[in-house]
Amino acid sequence: MSSLELAERALAAAGGADDVMVTVVTERSLMLRYARSRPTQATAVDDLTVEIAVARGGRVGSASTNATDDEALARCAREADVAAAAMAHTTGEDGFPGFPAPRPVPASETFDPATAELDAALGGAALKQAFDVAERHGVEAHGTWTVGDVETAIASSAGIAVAERSTDSFMKVVCIAPSGRSGYATAADRSVSAIDPAALAASAAGKATVEGEPVSLDPGEYPVVLESYAVADLLGQLAWHTFNGLAYVEDRSAFSGRLGSKVASPAINLSDSPRYPRTFQHGFDSEGTPKAPLPLIQDGVATGVVHDTASAALAGTHSTGHANMPGGSPFGPIATNLVLVGGGAASAEELCAPIERGVYITRLWYVNAVRPKETLLTGVTRDGTFLIEDGKITRPLVDMRFTDSALGLLERTQALSADSALTSDGEFYGRRFANGSVCPALRAASMRFTG
Amino acid sequence: MRQILADLMDAASGRADYADVRHVTSASEGMSTRNGRVDMVRHDSDAGFGVRVRIGGAWGFAAARGTEKAAAEGALERAIAVAQSQPLVPGAGPLAPEAPARGSYATAVEIDPFEVSLEDKLELLLAADEGMRGDPRVTLTMAQFSAYRQDKLFASTDGAMCDQRIVECGGGIVATATSDTDAQVRSYPGSHRDHVAQAGWEHFAGLDFVANAPRVGEEAVALLSAPQCPAGRTTLVIDGEQVALQVHESVGHALELDRVLGREASYAGTSWVTVPDLGSLKYGSEQMNVTADATSPGGLGSYGWDDEGVAGHTFPLVKEGVMCGFLSSREAAAEIGLERSGGCMRADGFARQPIIRMTNVNLAPGDAGSLDDLIADTDEGLYLETNRSWSIDNRRLHFQFATEAAWEIRDGERGRLLRNPSYAGITPEFWGSLDAVCSEPSWRLWGLLNCGKGEPGQAMHVSHGAAPARFRNVQVGVA
Repeated sequence: MSSLELAERALAAAGGADDVMVTVVTERSLMLRYARSRPTQATAVDDLTVEIAVARGGRVGSASTNATDDEALARCAREADVAAAAMAHTTGEDGFPGFPAPRPVPASETFDPATAELDAALGGAALKQAFDVAERHGVEAHGTWTVGDVETAIASSAGIAVAERSTDSFMKVVCIAPSGRSGYATAADRSVSAIDPAALAASAAGKATVEGEPVSLDPGEYPVVLESYAVADLLGQLAWHTFNGLAYVEDRSAFSGRLGSKVASPAINLSDSPRYPRTFQHGFDSEGTPKAPLPLIQDGVATGVVHDTASAALAGTHSTGHANMPGGSPFGPIATNLVLVGGGAASAEELCAPIERGVYITRLWYVNAVRPKETLLTGVTRDGTFLIEDGKITRPLVDMRFTDSALGLLERTQALSADSALTSDGEFYGRRFANGSVCPALRAASMRFTG
Repeated sequence: MRQILADLMDAASGRADYADVRHVTSASEGMSTRNGRVDMVRHDSDAGFGVRVRIGGAWGFAAARGTEKAAAEGALERAIAVAQSQPLVPGAGPLAPEAPARGSYATAVEIDPFEVSLEDKLELLLAADEGMRGDPRVTLTMAQFSAYRQDKLFASTDGAMCDQRIVECGGGIVATATSDTDAQVRSYPGSHRDHVAQAGWEHFAGLDFVANAPRVGEEAVALLSAPQCPAGRTTLVIDGEQVALQVHESVGHALELDRVLGREASYAGTSWVTVPDLGSLKYGSEQMNVTADATSPGGLGSYGWDDEGVAGHTFPLVKEGVMCGFLSSREAAAEIGLERSGGCMRADGFARQPIIRMTNVNLAPGDAGSLDDLIADTDEGLYLETNRSWSIDNRRLHFQFATEAAWEIRDGERGRLLRNPSYAGITPEFWGSLDAVCSEPSWRLWGLLNCGKGEPGQAMHVSHGAAPARFRNVQVGVA
């Protein structure tokens, strides 16, 4: 039975309710982990989720199960209905306007049959390649290799009946030298054949073995070059706190009251682009609303935020196709396909050229919002931090903590590289959902380091 | 189900050096309010098998949904195939020995939280939500309840067969006050609205949200016009909730043996602690006594057996400031020559394999009396309350935290409210500056639901026992 057929069965089970949306997400996935050039863990998942959401009186009650027999579907429908009834009974008739009507979903490039085979032997060979390269460089390899095959189907009482099958693959290599210095490289694509384990390992090993004793910099402000990984870390935080339409209408976003204002350097052009060729494409969101490109910052000016049906109703506008659960998540909608347009510099290395003394950052870690409305973030550098002197990377740096405004960094951005990469964290908490940001490297006039 | 698991382990014997299987049935209920309206009510459930095998030192784990024998058998075949597809693990030794787990464990529950009506729960949440909204500058109020139930049957090729029922519930409230340029937050009883315990409805009902709601709203508004917390080095008195998070981030994670051995280097990170440090590393002051206690009543890290069949037990991690234990698994314990696993392997549901997690990592109470006593004993400094943000490096050494609110302490009195407090430090220096911990009556368990680790990601529920504590000469005002 296909996911859409299962969704329609569940919709039938909820036949008594007026406004119902059923989502079925079927996941098959395999993830291999390794450390110190040895395999450590391997997880194969074969599971699905049937979620039934019932809208009643301006409220949405939900229930989910991973059982597919008639009795389980009927029980799940009852639980959703009881939840919706309790909500509507308690608080009256306003709020959620109802699940959206069907709209045509544009075609997306989402599936690769070879990746869907979830070939464990291919994963084992990828690990072996990474181990071999690491050994040649005198370092140890740590990381993950993973492939997934996820089908999402939505059926609603309003007539939505859509399905999309997506594959994704991701490999991460962290090489650690005997000195303790480390380097990082990842690749993500819907096709596992696009992942080159040896090239990733060579890149990570190269960073781990940059010559010279690590030096420390005093806290302060320094010019920086951020690789695409670090840029994606910052943009991911903005996606949660700033481009989020619910935070926007609740006056918690840095964009609240500032749409149309300058918020970044004129070099910054950022959009959510779900059909961009190199991203993990998605044709529709969790409410079956078709996805479409949405500018967020154009020439440095704040131009948009993302909405689901619930936040759009509060804002007096329409959904932009960014629901991450039917009826809206308490955390609000989120942009999952950010694309930052690159600039004229050939590479991250070329971005270093004008810097007399600055910091080169491969990636950031444990980035958290200190004060979201100010986009004030803190985090640390990791797996490849270097000193830039007279336009060139000269020595490793001891990792540093930054505490700075993400929009401030985009305001201080001077140049971007022409090349860009799809950056995904490959974490997959809960049900697997591949997403990532396509980013270039950037140079900013200053970044504030606090320790 | 017991027969299915027993048959599966018989089938695995001879094909794997070791195998175990869990059948897990999970249910959860969550609901929240937002600005006086019910925002979310949902019920989630799932069930399935998680089968783990070890062949030549390589692990294979496969998860399959359902309750049927065929699903379990399919998962076993997949786990074996995955383990066999990986490169060899030279020199892999046996697991640390453990007597086969046998028996049952269940949370002590007075009132089943799933049996309390939705209407009663929502009525309480809405009353708390309403209580926070006295001032128009309070632009967002939220109240949340959540409950979890997990039935778990475990068997292994070592002869284990045990079952557990774990029930958890709790929640919290939060108010956000905004101005054109600022947004200030106050929460109760802790941040993230998820003060959950392994207990029944009685835990949630006892938190007294309605009585605390007006204060929460008023303090959020007051923070908008409060002076900025100054920068510098000073004495900090930190509330139990923030101390609990400090223990979590800078003690618990640092003493996870997989991190210490480099097994998590590519994701969660490593540790500033090394294996030879065991028994000699000066982690903090003599006031610092930390245990890993999988038996704490009400703790989210309490259980009969971990997810590889090791009985939950208590052992010291830091004794009078000296590090003396690791959180471990059977594999990691054997690797460094420990006689027994710490019993710390847990999985987030049936579809994730167990990894080393914290149990209840508790800072023992001291003898400083109550919070008021501790403040009265402090000439000058700051009192910090309720976590707002957290960040720590991948070795668990350099950290920076912000709290929702601070108050000046002058001449033993709590003074002005201050906004945007933050502090930073280095783990052994910070814990070395601990000079007082409040006494037993001020000590309580604080639950966390969002401890992220592992790939694919796992969010674990853990608790930390803590009381307000005092730290000297800490850097504040870094953010």
